[in-house]
Amino acid sequence: MDYAVVVALQILSGIATLVIVSLGLAVVFGMMRVINLAHGEFLMLGGYCAILAHGAGINVWISVLALPPVIVGLFGLVVERLLIRRLYGRMIDTMLATWGLSLALIGGVNMAFGNTVSGFSAPLGSFTIGRFHNSVYDMFLVLAAVVLSFSVWAVLRFTPAGLIARGTMQNSEMAAALGVAPDRVYAATFAAGAALSGLAGGLIAPLSGVVPTMGTLYIAKAFITVITGGASMVTGTLTASGLLGTVSTVGTFLTTPVLGEVGLLVVAIVLLRLLPRGITGRFLRQSL
Amino acid sequence: MTQIRSTGLQIAAATVVSITAAWMLPQILELFALINATVFVSMSLLALSLGLVWGFCGILCFGQTAFFGLGGYSYAIAAINFGDTTGAVPIALLVPTVIAGALGYFMFYGRISDVYMGVITLTVTLILYKFANSTAGDQWTIGKAALGGFNGIPGTPPLNLPLQPDQALDPRQVFILAVICLLSCYVVAKLILRTRFGRVAVAIRENEIRAELLGYDVRRHKLGMFVLGGVMAGLAGILFANCVFVSPTMFSLSYAGQVIIWVLVGGVGTLIGPIVGCILVQMLVTWAGTLPDIDANLLLGVVFMLAVLAVPQGLLPAATTALTHLVRRTAG
Amino acid sequence: MTALLATEGLTMRFGGVTAVDGVTLTVSEGELRCLIGPNGAGKSTFFKCLTGQLRPSDGRIFWRGRDITGADGYVIAGLGVGIKTQVPSLFDGLTAQESVALAVRRHHSERVARARAAMALERLGINELAGRRVGILAHGQRQLVELAMVIAPEPDLIILDEPTAGMSAEETRRTAEVIRELNRSHAIVVVEHDMQFIRSIAKIVTVFHQGRILIEAAAEQVFADPRVREVYLGKAASRC
Repeated sequence: MDYAVVVALQILSGIATLVIVSLGLAVVFGMMRVINLAHGEFLMLGGYCAILAHGAGINVWISVLALPPVIVGLFGLVVERLLIRRLYGRMIDTMLATWGLSLALIGGVNMAFGNTVSGFSAPLGSFTIGRFHNSVYDMFLVLAAVVLSFSVWAVLRFTPAGLIARGTMQNSEMAAALGVAPDRVYAATFAAGAALSGLAGGLIAPLSGVVPTMGTLYIAKAFITVITGGASMVTGTLTASGLLGTVSTVGTFLTTPVLGEVGLLVVAIVLLRLLPRGITGRFLRQSL
Repeated sequence: MTQIRSTGLQIAAATVVSITAAWMLPQILELFALINATVFVSMSLLALSLGLVWGFCGILCFGQTAFFGLGGYSYAIAAINFGDTTGAVPIALLVPTVIAGALGYFMFYGRISDVYMGVITLTVTLILYKFANSTAGDQWTIGKAALGGFNGIPGTPPLNLPLQPDQALDPRQVFILAVICLLSCYVVAKLILRTRFGRVAVAIRENEIRAELLGYDVRRHKLGMFVLGGVMAGLAGILFANCVFVSPTMFSLSYAGQVIIWVLVGGVGTLIGPIVGCILVQMLVTWAGTLPDIDANLLLGVVFMLAVLAVPQGLLPAATTALTHLVRRTAG
Repeated sequence: MTALLATEGLTMRFGGVTAVDGVTLTVSEGELRCLIGPNGAGKSTFFKCLTGQLRPSDGRIFWRGRDITGADGYVIAGLGVGIKTQVPSLFDGLTAQESVALAVRRHHSERVARARAAMALERLGINELAGRRVGILAHGQRQLVELAMVIAPEPDLIILDEPTAGMSAEETRRTAEVIRELNRSHAIVVVEHDMQFIRSIAKIVTVFHQGRILIEAAAEQVFADPRVREVYLGKAASRC
């Protein structure tokens, strides 16, 4: 019985990690149809923010929750203005440019901080169920995933900013005719996506430490989750993460971590074959 | 201008360049540089394979490395088991063909396209990567060949003359063979593009729906091109296995991305472009690695970003356009 | 006259909406049939069922007596049905000549394809566009190139969805001429809005309304029918 609870908690934690890591990419791809291959590196920058801030003595919660989104969000604003803006509508060129950005960031961070892993141990300690120890931080991540998903959904659904953003994405000329500046909306949306990615990096930094190439570990999974999820940003990411996260965690428990990952990938392929437009291309189509 | 673009002339030019390279380079390069050059040729073939399916059929395959790695691994495993590479080569070509056929059938007959196909192909190469990585340990052996996990298969037997397992090719001969393979694949691609099959493939790239409305089975054409690309990538893998050893890196995300970069830089929509792009980028990467103070990735990344912003259609189309302008201005 | 294309109770449902409701219709060899009806009447949906772009929810489609219901689009096109869609569907990167030749190439050799392509372009008066890339042509020119792609393979039946959309008066006139001339050797189905154009070519007209056939008769009869006017212009107008 205890074991079942532990497994369930691990599944939740696996799903939560996927959600957190994919949400930023989902927003940018879902809203702007921009494939940002530097998403993993935004994550990495967020992680480094957290590590460096914590190392400088700043409170761990501020290091993890407050600084990364702000700093990476601002960085995203700069990237959008200098790079992404010139390539709108050109998906392939955007991919190439963001791939270049990704390489440059990895190289730059490597030069600045070296390529050894640094980190700090997760706060909040552990709790026990039966004879199993669980990390409280893992549970915190589950909470964070829920809060983040809800927040993104709420902002899009209820705030004027969210409405403007959705309107501009659907029809920028109409939005402009109504007095909205599409450029500003694009910039803000990309920055928001970057901030989400940065926050994700901060959140997962205590899990496995940071290294310049950590982004590459997550970009593929995030990309696959977002595409499998389909057009709806929040529901798509949630459903895809739920399914893929469960498969991956259960697979890891039943066999090996590698086969767990392979299981996730195979399920993604099968899913896309059955639902060529992603999960929310078929179910829950009107959701955000 | 149409003269310059005629197929016959291009094939002739390519042949001349290839013969020159195959003749001269072994004489002027030392052994290590020659082996490196062979690696470049093998990667150019990989680039050509993606350039063909992407530029001439609209299939953006994120996982061309899957067939590259499958070719390499199949060759190594078969060669070690047979003790003779004569049988290994056909097997190493067959495996990517079958897998490309299966994957292509799965995707195209399921009407999957654009970014979704990109994700699926990426996922396939990732699966192979993770799987290959996990094969350390003695239980992971096929016949006499241990898969070796992360380290790969160290002692890849070099190609030998057909049915003469004692007569292995030396690096000079391998280089010449590689150049011949690259040239042959280029010629085959050029010729296929002139057939009805090839023209329909290009039309599919332009407008799939219209191609269907003309009565062509789009799925069959895509599958055909995809398999052709897979075979070429597999052949590149065999050549790569001969110069470097076989390892999971062949399937990696990094390589998968690099192939796309080579084609993009060289120009999507040409056959020479990807080859040129590959060689240029590889040279840039090698040179960047020798710089003491600047991280190679940083330099590469900046170059790519500038390249996209300044020369978005790719180097070869940009160079051709520039050349055309120049010729027009001096002529009239 | 032999029936070429026939539908029996063809129905197309999208979720709760029935766009095409039990349409039974026969097009015979050599016929010229116009399908008209106000927006949302189901003409375009019906068109997509005929061309294989949509799979009908119910009912059957026959080609020369053979059941082809649910066949893929390319199969139907390969049977000898020339299809021109509402939004020009073209190969922007190819030249006009190459595009039309590819259409003929489906059933003929390279040499025949090139010759027939040149002929088709000439017939439509656009042979000066032969070497130009389709992507840079004006809208009306693109429509004509697409028409050339449709007629060049000499199909048994030609289906045109709003062929004159966005065309100038001159181009529309030219199209009407071509259609009348084509009708001498091919059966043609035209789905259209432009009433003047329809009047200039129509023989038998089928009027769609809310997914069903309202009336199917000779052109003059249809245009005089008050129900047709009501459906198009509203009850008030039909009383005048």
